[in-house]
Amino acid sequence: MLLHILNRSPATSEVYRQALAAMGPDDRLLLIEDGVQGALKGLVGRFGDVRGRLLALEEDLAARGLEPLCDDSVVRVDVEGFVTLTEEARKTVSWF
Amino acid sequence: MRYGILLMGAPYSSQAAHSALRFARAVAGRGHRLEAVFFYHEGVHNAARLAAPPQDEPHLVDGWAALSADHGVPLQVCIAAALRRGLLDEREAARHGKQGHSVEPPFELTGLGQLVDLGLRCDRLVTFGP
Amino acid sequence: MENDEEQDVAGDLLVILRHGPHGSSWLREGLDAALVAAAFGRRVTLLFMGEGVTALVPGQQRGPLGQKGTAPTLEMLEMYDIDSLLVEAEALSRLGLDGDELMLSPRRVEAAALPGLTACHSLVLTF
Repeated sequence: MLLHILNRSPATSEVYRQALAAMGPDDRLLLIEDGVQGALKGLVGRFGDVRGRLLALEEDLAARGLEPLCDDSVVRVDVEGFVTLTEEARKTVSWF
Repeated sequence: MRYGILLMGAPYSSQAAHSALRFARAVAGRGHRLEAVFFYHEGVHNAARLAAPPQDEPHLVDGWAALSADHGVPLQVCIAAALRRGLLDEREAARHGKQGHSVEPPFELTGLGQLVDLGLRCDRLVTFGP
Repeated sequence: MENDEEQDVAGDLLVILRHGPHGSSWLREGLDAALVAAAFGRRVTLLFMGEGVTALVPGQQRGPLGQKGTAPTLEMLEMYDIDSLLVEAEALSRLGLDGDELMLSPRRVEAAALPGLTACHSLVLTF
């Protein structure tokens, strides 16, 4: 299992497509920074099959006031959870 | 575990430097060994000695220095990427005939080979881009 | 990607290049990282992805201020024994490029093979 990290909003950037293209069936995708916009109900559909393996960094959601708008299918993690995800993954790949 | 961080975003231009510093502290807080932070691309600006952000904003350059002091983390700056962008330590300033210098310890100018070594030596390398 | 093909391209470092020449330093700095890794004896694979496939378009020139661009660096890859050069097939079709006319004759990688590539290298760096 690899951890992919995305910091761009799917509303403005196609980079999320690159992340999805490179992901294996067990890989996880963590949304950070502007990437957390992808957790919004209107955008989460872009991540298709990844639902269930899609996570978002809680503090980046909170800073943007987006926590209440986050789709229920997205798993929220704090920064310790971020570190734990990197421990569990064999390696990380960042998309920006 | 042994961790490395690669930072390629300039401070105050994108959130990358904040995210990287936050993650670095969390890594150390969970008892991992942070082997080095490597600054490449626009990330080299994190080493700017003269950065003077407003007092009510996080001081990233000081933040890196504090991380280094608290946890013994080397702060390695790609020398080729830094020189192009006007980031010179005392030695490089003298070598290029420049007055003053813009990088000081604990930041150290080093070659890209250090990044390759860090990435392959550590259990995890996490990249923060702009 | 089939297992034997995965073995074929497995290596220490996968460098993913996602930007074209001249517009930013991403491509040059990504190539520099690849060259240094190869000079240190590491097995390096280059993947030109998305807009990065335009790095391989022939006929590139210096910029108007004399900027070198990256084409001369590409010519050096062979000297550093970087011969695992891959290009994203989908990006070629999206940009309407003919893969056979690119510099360095890279191998086309179909979308289904991309996850295998990230999985079979010890380290993946994106630029």
